[in-house]
Amino acid sequence: MEENKAESGPIQYIVVRIEDEQYGFDIKYVDNIVRMQKITRVPKAQHYFRGVINLRGEIVPVMSIRTKMGLSEDEFTNETRIIILEPEQQGAVGVIVDEVREVVTLEDADVDRQMCVSAEGRSSFINGVGKHNDELISLFDISAVISD
Amino acid sequence: MDVSQYLEIFIDETKEHLQSLNEHLLIIEKEPDNKDTINEIFRAAHSLKGMAGTMGYKRMQRLTHDMENVLSEIRNGKMSVTAELVDVLFQCLDALEAYLENIQQTSDEGTDDNEKIVGELNRLLGGESTAAVIAKTAGKTAAPASDENKYRSIKIADYEMHAFDEAVSQGMNVYGLTVYVQESCVLKAARAFLVFKAIEELGEIVRAEPGVDDIEDEKFDFDFSLLVISEHPVEKIIKAVENVSEIAKATGGKIELKSDSVSEAGSAETKENEKEQPGEAKEQKNQAVSTKKQGKPVSNRTVRVDIEKLDELMNLVSELIIAKNSIVSADSTDSGRGRNGFRDQIEYLERVTTNLHESVMKVRMVPIESVVNRFPRMIRDLSKKLDKKMELYMSGEDTELDRTVIDEIGDPLMHLLRNSADHGLESGEKRIARGKNEQGAIFLDAYQDGNNVVIEVRDDGNGIDVENVREKAVERGTITREQADTMNDRDIINLLFLPSFSMSKKVSDISGRGVGLDVVKSKIESLGGDVEVRSVLGEGSKFIIRLPLTLAIIQALMVEVAKEKYAIPLGTIQTIEDIPVSDIRHVQGREVIHLRGAVIPVVRMNGILETGAVEEAQENMTVVIIKKGDRFAGLVVDSLIGQQEIVIKPIGKYIRNSKLISGATILGDGEVALILDVNTLV
Repeated sequence: MEENKAESGPIQYIVVRIEDEQYGFDIKYVDNIVRMQKITRVPKAQHYFRGVINLRGEIVPVMSIRTKMGLSEDEFTNETRIIILEPEQQGAVGVIVDEVREVVTLEDADVDRQMCVSAEGRSSFINGVGKHNDELISLFDISAVISD
Repeated sequence: MDVSQYLEIFIDETKEHLQSLNEHLLIIEKEPDNKDTINEIFRAAHSLKGMAGTMGYKRMQRLTHDMENVLSEIRNGKMSVTAELVDVLFQCLDALEAYLENIQQTSDEGTDDNEKIVGELNRLLGGESTAAVIAKTAGKTAAPASDENKYRSIKIADYEMHAFDEAVSQGMNVYGLTVYVQESCVLKAARAFLVFKAIEELGEIVRAEPGVDDIEDEKFDFDFSLLVISEHPVEKIIKAVENVSEIAKATGGKIELKSDSVSEAGSAETKENEKEQPGEAKEQKNQAVSTKKQGKPVSNRTVRVDIEKLDELMNLVSELIIAKNSIVSADSTDSGRGRNGFRDQIEYLERVTTNLHESVMKVRMVPIESVVNRFPRMIRDLSKKLDKKMELYMSGEDTELDRTVIDEIGDPLMHLLRNSADHGLESGEKRIARGKNEQGAIFLDAYQDGNNVVIEVRDDGNGIDVENVREKAVERGTITREQADTMNDRDIINLLFLPSFSMSKKVSDISGRGVGLDVVKSKIESLGGDVEVRSVLGEGSKFIIRLPLTLAIIQALMVEVAKEKYAIPLGTIQTIEDIPVSDIRHVQGREVIHLRGAVIPVVRMNGILETGAVEEAQENMTVVIIKKGDRFAGLVVDSLIGQQEIVIKPIGKYIRNSKLISGATILGDGEVALILDVNTLV
């Protein structure tokens, strides 16, 4: 339970694929990863909410991050997963990703916080880019992902 | 003995017993001859006494003991129930509650001896004096010498008489003994056992009062009496008994067999009977024990469980269902291999999990009764205090609410009831002058209304004088004159919910200190509900509390719209109709149907729910007629699935949609179905 946020210390990320790019979720906020399951559509919800699922007896809303970031429509495959995020002091919310790849540990030095200056489009959900084995991972700003 | 670990249980159980006493006393007050109720009261008082004794609360024990004495006289028909007596008993309950409060806060009962109440009790007893009772009560407090020999009041049974006769004929003596254990003694039963052992070395114990079982269970105060057959002189036995440590004193003497009990017992008994009697007596004893056992569950049928544990259980059950579902789907993909046994087992598992799921969910729900059952007593007391005749009528006590809501709702309801009693109802004379029944009526009705539980507190009193409130509000500067003139009655009435706005002309200790209604409102809002007032001047007022049923279980009709499943709360449904499409009429651009003389607007759920599906042209439509207040609407759905008991779950704060969806529920197969809040459609 260290409170070392941006500065110092390695942070573990769950690396996922969305379309052709890699993204990372801070593992601190990830409660669970579940397979794609039947999502019950909720009428008149925000357009990026796919609906709700039953997660161990609780109702959890699930959003399409593709829609939210203005990408193409979701394609559900055998690799599709729902990342259940549990931000502090808020209920759980699910995010659909195309594939879960691995868990990486990034040192502060591996993360470039400068690349995300643009406040529009998909980059507004990103607060840094991590480098791992010559690959780039866009790191999600969880609070931006879950906010409207 | 360290009893602190039992403190919580003691407090809970004492509360339960006090509640049961309150309820039954109220019944007794109305039906003084109700034997069952008297027995119930006696049992509750008795248990209280035992519990207080075990926990070492001497004052509480003493008070309950004296109560028990009085009650036992009533039970035996030696005293009748009078208004005075009921009053004193109620005072006892209050005193006990005060003890309990002290115990809860400091784990000590406090120092109030309640001498006055004890005195009252004993005076009531004295009024109906019978020797035995005096002996019993006196023995408890400061025993005069003549009353120490309690053994004399032991009734000798026929078979014992026979044994005594035999013993005497063999030159033995029959003694009565009363043994007093020191009041500081902790293990009374153990001391009693040592006493028994000591006596048995010198003679034979024929009879114990109270019974041996009760003595072993410490179900006696600080004395017990014995009948003993022995060849030794009585002094020797007394000495032996007094040698046991922690025995305060023993008294004893020869039993004269030619006493009253002989004539009473010895007459007209056949030999056959005498033979059988020991067995019978045993049976009687067993019966006594079993009736006691039967009596217990009535007042104590519950087990206390931590809500967190229930949550955990609930989650586990849900996971079980999910696991079961995956087995089911795995099986269906493997179909055609003829593994019927496997399928049977899965079906069995399915049944088990469904039942388990349902029962675990129900555990969290508590009938509102547990909150409202103390109100009749409160109204009774208020009635006496305010010197107004009033009666509380309650309905829907079995309406279920989630435990967490139940815990919070008590105080607001109490506020409202007090309000009604104090300033709602007029005085008796005024009521008569207005042509009303002298006795004021207060109603507490609870019922389910769609996804809400509604609790109404209503009285047939004066109602709210809107003009009066208006004046007062201006006078106090709450609103300006101009505002006052433009505000409608409803807004004016809502001013009552503002902090420190009290209408009572005189402040009493019942209500009127201006801390009432705003507290009620904020409390209910914190539970996610709202309060509404309706009032007709001169006819009474009605406070309507509406609480959401989060986690509540409701009956719902499951319907299908464009292959999606939705739940409609059964309470809102009026009828279900099969209507030919050709019956639809158009009024002002809206689709309506004529149904039994009413014009009902038609709502196409397919469109409202934005399913995107194209409706197929059909000859008939399934229309669910819903009702809100006096308005109707007909919802067109594709098909009906059936009625089901569902648990309402919140869909969380992330999704902002219109109020169309009030929550979601998890169906038996783990799938999520949304619950329609049809109120928004009417």
